[in-house]
Amino acid sequence: MGQNNIYILPSRPGLAFCLTLLLLLLASINDQLSLGYMLTFLLTGAGLASMHSTHGNLRGLSLDLKAPQPVFAGEDVQLELRLHNGGRARFGIGVHVLGSPDAEIAWTDVPARGHALLQVRLPAGPRGLQSLPSLQIVTRFPLGLFRSWSVWRPAAKVWVYPQPESPAAAFPLSRDGGETGEIALPSRQQGQDFEGVRQYRRGDSMRQVLWKKAALSLEQGTPLSVRETQAPAAHALWLDWRDAGSETEARLSRLTAWVLAAERAQAPYGLRLGAQEFAPDLGPAQRQLCLEQLALA
Amino acid sequence: MTLTRDCRDTLFLLATIAAIVLPHAQHLPLWASAITVTILVWRGWLAWAQKPLPGRAVLVLVLLASGLLTWLTHRTLIGREAGITMLVMLLALKTLELRARRDAFVVFFLGFFLVLTHFLYSQSLLSAVWMLVAVWALLSAVVLAQMPVGQPSLALAARHAARTTLYGLPVMVLLFLLFPRIAPLWGVPSDSVGRTGLSNQLDFGAMSEIANDDSIALRLKFEGPPPPPQARYFRGPVLGRFDGRTWRPAQAVSGLFSIDALQLSGTPLRYEMTMEPLRITVLPLLEMSPEQPGAELELDALRLKRGPELQWLAARPITERLRLNAVAYPGYSAGAARSPASMEHFLALPQRLNPRSMAWAAALRSEPRFAALDDRALPTALAEAVLQHIRSADFTYTLAPGRYGEVTPHLIDEFWFDRRLGFCEHFSSAFVIMMRAMGVPARIVTGFQGMDADQQDGYWIVRNSNAHAWAEYWVAGRGWLRADPTAAIAPERVNLGLALRPQSVGFAGALERFSPALWPRLRQGWETLNNRWQQVVLNYSRQNQFDLLKSMGFNQPDWLALGQLSAALIALLAAAGGAWTWWLARPHDAWSRQRISVLKELQRLGVTATDHEGPGRWAAHLSERFGPRAETAVRLLQSLEQSRYAPAAQALDWRGRRRWLHEFRAAGRMLRSKTR
Repeated sequence: MGQNNIYILPSRPGLAFCLTLLLLLLASINDQLSLGYMLTFLLTGAGLASMHSTHGNLRGLSLDLKAPQPVFAGEDVQLELRLHNGGRARFGIGVHVLGSPDAEIAWTDVPARGHALLQVRLPAGPRGLQSLPSLQIVTRFPLGLFRSWSVWRPAAKVWVYPQPESPAAAFPLSRDGGETGEIALPSRQQGQDFEGVRQYRRGDSMRQVLWKKAALSLEQGTPLSVRETQAPAAHALWLDWRDAGSETEARLSRLTAWVLAAERAQAPYGLRLGAQEFAPDLGPAQRQLCLEQLALA
Repeated sequence: MTLTRDCRDTLFLLATIAAIVLPHAQHLPLWASAITVTILVWRGWLAWAQKPLPGRAVLVLVLLASGLLTWLTHRTLIGREAGITMLVMLLALKTLELRARRDAFVVFFLGFFLVLTHFLYSQSLLSAVWMLVAVWALLSAVVLAQMPVGQPSLALAARHAARTTLYGLPVMVLLFLLFPRIAPLWGVPSDSVGRTGLSNQLDFGAMSEIANDDSIALRLKFEGPPPPPQARYFRGPVLGRFDGRTWRPAQAVSGLFSIDALQLSGTPLRYEMTMEPLRITVLPLLEMSPEQPGAELELDALRLKRGPELQWLAARPITERLRLNAVAYPGYSAGAARSPASMEHFLALPQRLNPRSMAWAAALRSEPRFAALDDRALPTALAEAVLQHIRSADFTYTLAPGRYGEVTPHLIDEFWFDRRLGFCEHFSSAFVIMMRAMGVPARIVTGFQGMDADQQDGYWIVRNSNAHAWAEYWVAGRGWLRADPTAAIAPERVNLGLALRPQSVGFAGALERFSPALWPRLRQGWETLNNRWQQVVLNYSRQNQFDLLKSMGFNQPDWLALGQLSAALIALLAAAGGAWTWWLARPHDAWSRQRISVLKELQRLGVTATDHEGPGRWAAHLSERFGPRAETAVRLLQSLEQSRYAPAAQALDWRGRRRWLHEFRAAGRMLRSKTR
């Protein structure tokens, strides 16, 4: 931040201070008090100097923003700001969303030649890829007679996923051949259905390992056995727009809840949004893809 | 044990407020001091114990109570003393209501006000230092309030407060020197409370001791020799009305024969006088200046009028330093033509007071030696008899006589018969009362008497400690005659003009006994320092401002010149600020600046080049646009690229950079002219 984007105006106490100075000056004139003049001018000088100090408290400060984590609609976006300071220590630096009340300012001090971390929470807007609102960096240090501020519009955007339905509805029947999908959510969530035993593959969960047989396997040099709880690929769960209800937002909420539930249940899932179709898969990438598509839908 | 941030800040603020209120304690009513201390201690305890603040009802109750008490004490709520009392109460109460930040600011602003009101009572060096520390602490508290996170140390806040104040110091000095010193806008500044020297009333025996104020009151330069010691009387307020305790000016009576018409004789004495801003409403001139009562005198912005009793009265306290040329006629007669009927109010005595004095005067008057004397000789003989009594009875001249009137309403009796200790005001009061009791019109004249034995820079110095009170009695056909009863008891006071000088007591006295050499030196040093302070800071006036302008080369120093100088300084400061900002904003490495110049030149040539490209790319753009015609410029850009990025490249020094830029601009000009 520099000369071009820092603004400064007297604060309300600053205006009251001017009034006080005026009264002090009047008293000094009317009573011809040399020391009164001195006090008045001392305070005037300090007030003027504080204008420069307040401005200087922001000048040369730079900010960056950690890429914000995606959130669900209705939650708060948590922004993590880093304030870099190449100069001497700065005090009483506040950041808040432009236009929000003063009570929501997050305050910090920035040490000399160092940086400070600051967290700002703001309510997530509607679903979608939202650009962040402008942030106001504000300071009143040292005397509070002036309010200096700068407005920063972060370039980063934040994903706001649809609000998941709560409590989540049961998984839908698959429209893909009748034999699949009559899997009720609760059993899936527990993940304890014993469907068979197979060899260990990379990526299998530790909980699925049949530890009782592990010692034997290790002794014989054969791979570990794992309990097979997942449905085979043919059993993939299809989360379909058409199954999710009637109203758009309600459908999206339900689909979001299903995606989350399927991730928890470690059940591979695919997503059908009208014409768009995303092949069944599991894992963070799939989750992100699906949630982003739901956010944009 | 460490305090919480909140608790510590509150305690610090309370201590600061206590420091500001403390010097007021000596003139606040006792109840106000008690309530203030109670509130501050209570608030401190609340902060310590982290208890909630009291409700608003309590505050309103205390406020109403203190309002009532203020009214009972001062009989008003808006006067100065009452105002200060209320201000202190408000400040103390506000500490019980520190909820929002706005409340804190209210406390700060009230605090600054209270600091200012202290200067109404004392502007001494000590109180200035004390108040400076108080203001510093107050500003530190302001800074603390602006540090919302963590637990910043007090020292840190104090450092920031000091730094901000120091940065503002030049502004303060300039404003102090140049802000026009104008006359009071309305009302009149009341007489400075507690100041010794001249005032419009005289409380008999109210002062148990006179403070020694050695500051300079008048500076005089005579054409020829100075007047003899017995004639060094400077006429100030004339007091004719006595209520048993206090002397006040006589009520004005109109009429041709109720004024003291002057008849002058002898050779006039011309002199130049400079009067310090004494904040009194009279101009004490050497007796007797020739103007008749009712005459007017214009001095700068001040209008003076000669009162019926020959004192020079100003409409307001004289708060500027005055310089004037004046004339005095040592031989004069005043009021010789007045009718005895107009003398009634100079014969008035307080009713039913001082019976023993009345009896004593009656006894003296009825002595047979006065029986044969006529109206012209009698008053003089009576005056001489009273003075003789003062000389012969065991009266003692002392500056620390103690208070009179503590046990009896008969103050003059107490002085004349019982204690017989006093200084000029006691002796002259008693003299006037005795004269009146014997039927001789008499009045008290206050002013200055005497001056320093040695000249200073060719000036004779009259100090505030030369303040004096003497008496005048009236003789039909001869007018008012001066009688100085103090001369009867302490001739050296009058003849040598020795200033009042009390005995050192207490610590000072002990030190004086312990080390007779050290104490006078210390005292002298302190007095010099105080005097310097008085001269340089407190008496800084319009005259000093004009002198300053003169020394800066203004031939005709006036308001216009002052305004011009101020405007010039403001413009200079603004320009310096602008230059500083520009210096801060411009890139601080040569390479960035050079690139900016090159880009500007390329833009003039119509080449779209951007900041993030290097000189090589710019060269390519250039030859794309102009072809071989741009050869010189392209070569220059490539050499710049070489000098910057080639292995083992040596960056150009500033001369090289300047030469390069010169050549590049020349090439650019050439290209533009060819293109056209």
